[in-house]
Amino acid sequence: MKFAGRSDIIIVVILAAAAVLAWTLYTGVLGKAGTYAEIYYQSQLVKTVELKTGQDETFFIEQEPDVVFHLHPDGSISFEESDCPDKICIESGKLHLAGQYAACLPNLIYVKIVSEESADGAADIYI
Amino acid sequence: MEKAITNEKRTTGQTGRITLLGLLFALAMVLSVLEGLFPVPVPIPGVRLGLANIVVMFALLYLKKADALTLVVLKAIFVASTRGLVAGTLSLTGGLFALGVMVLILLLRRDKSTLLLISVAGAVFHNLGQITAASFIMETVLWVYLPVLLLSGIVTGFATSMMLKMTSPVFLKLHLNKF
Repeated sequence: MKFAGRSDIIIVVILAAAAVLAWTLYTGVLGKAGTYAEIYYQSQLVKTVELKTGQDETFFIEQEPDVVFHLHPDGSISFEESDCPDKICIESGKLHLAGQYAACLPNLIYVKIVSEESADGAADIYI
Repeated sequence: MEKAITNEKRTTGQTGRITLLGLLFALAMVLSVLEGLFPVPVPIPGVRLGLANIVVMFALLYLKKADALTLVVLKAIFVASTRGLVAGTLSLTGGLFALGVMVLILLLRRDKSTLLLISVAGAVFHNLGQITAASFIMETVLWVYLPVLLLSGIVTGFATSMMLKMTSPVFLKLHLNKF
């Protein structure tokens, strides 16, 4: 079997370029900084946290105390600790753009960043 | 003498095939564990290096489609038993998506199929399959990272095709695929 034909290389390069362009647009131009972080447990919204600069705190949700979140001074949120085996949630790093998410699948928890407009009402908890 | 070997081959064919599948599965498990030791290049559910996909691709290209499917299912069972049911489900969905698209390319393009295209499509669809499964588990649509998944699929798919290109001639010299 041939390794690659010319058309394959063109397809792959176009796909890669489209992916880079879409991601650059999202992170650089179109992506808006989120205002709230919504924390979901078993698909239910259990906590909404306001993302503002200058705060540096950790917290957890009562349903799963082994998963700890961190609010950073730059207005982002990240998973700090988790008892899951793969730690993908922690490696996801800081989130701050509306639409970004990080999930801890084994614990069925995910965090979604939303802008003010799309948040359902005001935050129920301010930290 | 040669005839005797041929006869022996015939009778040991099935055993040989099972043994070979066992070896490939062991290799897939080792690669899967090895992959877990490296940090994930992009920490998003669904993105991984996909080293074990080399083994599945090898089975698909040089053995039988059913063998490749067996490896995908066995690997998912291994992942489920070591890293939990959720990880196992993701592995199975990703594996089936990848295998599905690779088989489709082989059927549609036949001799025009290339290693690079099969490998990249497999890697991209593995990511798509995992993100689809994750979306179902989380009951929310997780498509915002699609460009990253696409790009990581292209990069890892390219890497797998290179590795397969380098390793398969050695493997084929052993004539293990003749069972």
